[in-house]
Amino acid sequence: MILKILLAGDGGQGIQTIAEIICRAAFQKNWHVSYIPNYGLEQRGGVSLSFIQISDKVIGYSKFTTPDILLIMSEQARARVKNYESGIMNYDVKDYAQKLEEQKIGKSSYNIFFLGLLVKYLEEKNVLKKEEVYELLEKKLGKKLNWEENKSIFQTCTL
Amino acid sequence: MAENLAKFCAGCGYPITLMMLNKTLEKLDLQKRAVLGLDIGCALLAWNFLPINTFQTHHGRVAPTMMGFKRARNNSICFALVGDGGAYAIGLQSLIHAAKRDEPITVIVANNTVYGMTGGQTAPTTLCGQVTPTSPKGNIEEPFHGPEMLKGVIKDGAFLARTAVNEPKQLQEFLQKAIETQQAGHFSLVEVLSFCPTNWKTNGVDTINKLNGLKDIFELGIL
Amino acid sequence: MEGSLKIIMLEKEKQFLTGHEIVIKACLDAEADVMYGYPITPTCEILSGWSNIGKQYLQTEDEIAAGFAVCGAVLAGKKAFTASAGPGHILLQDAFSMAEAMRLPFVMVIGQRGGPSSGTVIYSQQEVTLACYGGNGEGYRLVYSPSNAKELYELTRQAFNDAWHYRFPAVLLTDGYLLKTKSVFNLAEITKMVNIPAHALVPEDKVVHWPNIYTLEEELNEEINETKKDFSAISEEISKAESYKTDGIEYLVIAHGIVGAVAKMAVDELREKNIKVGLFRPITLRPFSKKQLDDLFVKNNIKNVVVVESSFGQLARIVRDELAPEIDATFTYIQKPGLGIEVEEIVEFMKKLKI
Repeated sequence: MILKILLAGDGGQGIQTIAEIICRAAFQKNWHVSYIPNYGLEQRGGVSLSFIQISDKVIGYSKFTTPDILLIMSEQARARVKNYESGIMNYDVKDYAQKLEEQKIGKSSYNIFFLGLLVKYLEEKNVLKKEEVYELLEKKLGKKLNWEENKSIFQTCTL
Repeated sequence: MAENLAKFCAGCGYPITLMMLNKTLEKLDLQKRAVLGLDIGCALLAWNFLPINTFQTHHGRVAPTMMGFKRARNNSICFALVGDGGAYAIGLQSLIHAAKRDEPITVIVANNTVYGMTGGQTAPTTLCGQVTPTSPKGNIEEPFHGPEMLKGVIKDGAFLARTAVNEPKQLQEFLQKAIETQQAGHFSLVEVLSFCPTNWKTNGVDTINKLNGLKDIFELGIL
Repeated sequence: MEGSLKIIMLEKEKQFLTGHEIVIKACLDAEADVMYGYPITPTCEILSGWSNIGKQYLQTEDEIAAGFAVCGAVLAGKKAFTASAGPGHILLQDAFSMAEAMRLPFVMVIGQRGGPSSGTVIYSQQEVTLACYGGNGEGYRLVYSPSNAKELYELTRQAFNDAWHYRFPAVLLTDGYLLKTKSVFNLAEITKMVNIPAHALVPEDKVVHWPNIYTLEEELNEEINETKKDFSAISEEISKAESYKTDGIEYLVIAHGIVGAVAKMAVDELREKNIKVGLFRPITLRPFSKKQLDDLFVKNNIKNVVVVESSFGQLARIVRDELAPEIDATFTYIQKPGLGIEVEEIVEFMKKLKI
C-alpha cells in the first residue's frame, strides 16, 4: 500500500504545518513516511507544495506526479499543479467556498479545515487515527491565539 | 523566457529603495541610461521591477561587474544593488578595491542586518547579541560599519552616505547626490537601513521600532 | 536547542529526519570537530543545525574562507568539514584543489542545485564534473553519491574515514531533494562503523616544510605520479557500485544518487514485464568501479546502455571514459538537467527502446 498526498497552497497558508502533522502522525503509527516541501526562491508568498507518501514498504523517491490525494488551497497553487494528474480524492478550496463561509472559517484556518477533511479520509482508510492527529495539532498550535477556533474546526471536520 | 514568479515579501524595504531610485532617475531624466546590476540575495528579486536595464550577477560580485560595464560604456549610469552580506562579507574585497580605484559606479547597500533570502543568518552588520539561525546564542561580534570603513580608501570627490527606508527625503537626496558623484567621475555608496519583518519576525509596529533602533548604531548622514 | 536537533543527539532507534539532520548526525558520529561554512540553499540547514548543537563552528565571510579554514583545521589535526552548493561549490574548489595537492582530509557535503550560475536553489545532478574533476588538477579526490537516507548517513561517515585513512579530500555529493526529504531513519538498520582517528599533519614534535608549488616541472610531475599511484592502489578497495538484477541482461541502465533509486524501481517494474534490464549504480564516482562495470559486459550480451541523469551527460562522460576501450557498447541517454526523473519516464523509455 502506498498513498501519495500532494498539498498545494500559497506560502503562509500553513501547508507545511499540516503536512508535518500528517507525517508525524503516520510516523508514530510506524508507517514508512516520506515528505518533501517545495517552494520558490523567496521567503514569503509564492507557491508552497508538500509531497507526502505513506507506505507499508520503504519509499524509494520523494517526488511524484500522480497524487492519490490532492489539496489545492489557492489560485496560484491551482496554476502550479495543473500538470499534475488529479487524484482519487481532490480537495479544492473553490469547491468549499460555501461551506467555509457557512461555518465562518477564517482564511488563516483554511489549512486546519482541510487537515480535518484529510484526516477523516485517512482514518477511513485505516492509515491514521484522528485522536493522534489531534494530539499533535494541540502540541503545535495549542498555545496560539486562535486555538479554540482551530480546535473546533478540526473536531467538526473529523466528525 | 522566465517569468518573475518570486516577489518581495510584504513589508520588505527593497521596493521602497527601488521606487525612490526610479523617482530620482525620472527627475534627472536618466532612466534610459541607467543600468542596474543585482547581487544574489533578495536584491535579485528586482530583476524586472523597474523600467530600466537590469541584470543579476553573482553573490558578492555586483561591484566588479558594474565596474566592467561602466568602463565599457562610459555614458551609462551604473548601479550595484546589494545586501549587507553581498557588500560586506563575500563582496567586501571587491568593494574596497572599487572604492580605492574610485570606480564611477553607485553602490546601494540594503542593510537589514541579516541574510534574508537564505533565512536570516548572521551578517556582517548583525548586532552584538542578535539571535539568528547561525548565532543561536546571540552574535558575539560587533557590527560592521561599511561606509565608515571605506572612508579610509576613497579619493576626494567620492560620496559615502547612510540613510533609511523610512527617511524618504534623505533617501532621495542621497541617491541624487550619488548619481551626481558618478557623473562627476567618482565612486559613490549609499547604505540604506532597511527592514525585513520576515526574518526579524516582527509585526508592523515592531518592525519600524527596530529600524529606528538601528539608527543609534548605524549613524545616518553623509560621511 | 531546536527540538528536532535535540532528537538527533539522543540515540533513539527510529526518527523522522530530514537529509540535513542525517548529515549532521553522521558528522557528529564521525567525531567531526568543527564546521566552517557560508549559507547557501540547499545546505543552510546543515550550518545552522550544526551551530545549534554546541559543536565548534564559524560562519565565514565566504566559501573561500570556509574552505581554507577547513584546510587549516585539518593541517592541525582536527576533523573539519564544510557544506555548500552551486556557486559556493565552485568557490570551494580553490581550497579543495589545495587539499588535493597537499593530500588533506578535507570533507565537504555538496547539495547539488540547478546550474550553471545561480540556476535554481532546488535540485540537479549538474555538479558531478565539478566534484570529480574541479580545480586545476587531475581529480584525485573521493566522491560519494548516496541514493537514499541510509546511504546519506553511511557515506558521510565513510567519507571522513577514507579521507583520514588515505589522505584524499572527499565530497559527499548529494542534492537538494535528498537533503530536504524527511524520512524514517532507523539506527538499527545502519551499518556499524568505527571511526578512523584524525592526526596532526603539521606535527607538534618536529618540523615540516611543505610547499604546494614547485620550481621545476619535473618535481611537480613526480609528485602527481606519486599521488596517482596512491589513488590507484586504493581504487579497488574504496570504489563501490551496486549491480542490481544484472543477471542475463540485454539492457543496462546506469544512474547514480536519487536517480539511481528511481532507476531501481523502474528495473523492478520492467523485469515484471519480462524486459531483461538491470541497473549499474555507481556509489563512488571517484574512484569509479571500473572492473565491476566492465565485468557486466563480459558476462552479458548488452544491446544498449541507458545512462539516466539530471544533467546533460556529466555521468555519461565518466562512464564512457571508464569503460574499457575494447568494449563496444551502444549508448542512449535520458538527460534532464535540473529536473527530477520519475519511474514512469524510465519505464516508458525502455519499453520504446525494446521495440
